[in-house]
Amino acid sequence: MGWLWGGVDLALFVVLLILLAIAAGLVGSLTGLGGGVVVIPLLVIFFGASISVAIGTGFVTILATSSATGAAYVRDRLSDIRIGMFLEIATVPGALIGATATVFLTHANLQSALLIALGAVLFAIIPGSLARRHIELPPDVPSDARAQRLGLAGEYHDGALGREVPYRAARTSPALGVMFGAGVVSGMFGIGGGVFKVLALERFLNLPMKVATATSNFMIGVTAAAGAGVMLSAGYVNPIVAAPVAIGTSLGAYVGSRLLPGLRNRTVRLLFLPVIAALAIEMVLRGFGLP
Amino acid sequence: MTYVLRLGLGLALVVLAGGIIAYIVENPGVSSSTVLSSNPILGYLSFPGLASGLASGSVGAILTLGLIVLVATPIVRVVSGMYYFRKGGEREMTAISFTVLVLLLLGLLVIGPYIR
Repeated sequence: MGWLWGGVDLALFVVLLILLAIAAGLVGSLTGLGGGVVVIPLLVIFFGASISVAIGTGFVTILATSSATGAAYVRDRLSDIRIGMFLEIATVPGALIGATATVFLTHANLQSALLIALGAVLFAIIPGSLARRHIELPPDVPSDARAQRLGLAGEYHDGALGREVPYRAARTSPALGVMFGAGVVSGMFGIGGGVFKVLALERFLNLPMKVATATSNFMIGVTAAAGAGVMLSAGYVNPIVAAPVAIGTSLGAYVGSRLLPGLRNRTVRLLFLPVIAALAIEMVLRGFGLP
Repeated sequence: MTYVLRLGLGLALVVLAGGIIAYIVENPGVSSSTVLSSNPILGYLSFPGLASGLASGSVGAILTLGLIVLVATPIVRVVSGMYYFRKGGEREMTAISFTVLVLLLLGLLVIGPYIR
């Protein structure tokens, strides 16, 4: 039961959704967690949406955020399309499996399992998000044969350091494994994949943080397109909810990525994490049928 | 590449905004709980359904089109990546991009409709 479960006028509903999505897009882009982390639980808790409608809408927030903020990264040569594309060979099959699982769980009337699993993923995001490295550049690690063959290396201009920074990918096999898992999570819920992707890009491929973040931004759009394709054509994306959320998230993410880069720091993240923890607890409680 | 993103997102948002305004105008007095319990685009999730819906100017078909453009934007990015690798004569990266593209289309056109 949501606060608005009794129903409000459609025009008011759409305006409320746009406002919620602007806030979610803003916070999501500042923390790098994406708007869906806020939108999905709030749709369920305050708007009385079913978990499957909320998840379908979650994909829309990721697509909007990735496209709204991606243009800047590609222009700055930070997003490594080559490395991103190589890893998509693992995330996309994962996302197809994840989205199919969500549809089957909904068909089987196991929405409570989805709520509990979503709560668990939100909890898992918290340590992953806190654990993000703050070392500007990783120590050099030799690339493996596959990375060398595919040319998974590059360089970018680091504004803070004032020089060109070369990088090369290492440990591609474990990275593919982690990316498959990130794909399954993204495909099931439309959220969470970005945090795990950045971790894999930094920890396994040994990429500089800025390149990892920008490449993850390219990747989440493609992975979300895989999950969203399944959810949309299976009839789980409701445009009356998704359209206002897409509009609001794009506006919020655009403003967040252009006008407030100085705010993108640990403080915002630390303020935001208790909110996610509260939403995660609420999801799990609902999954177990508690008020 | 940036052009694809801006154009795709801009187009999707304009179509979705127009569609949602038209939907509100066409459905006065409808409450949010009705909207949440039914999906108005189920009839347009096939090529013939979408084509005839668009031809008759149906709001549901317009909203479906907006969502398809939104999903298609990253897919177009994969296509442009594949073109770039092919132009550079990189067979393995071209094959990887092509596989990713096929999998994306498989989800949208085969798996989703099949499990609906």
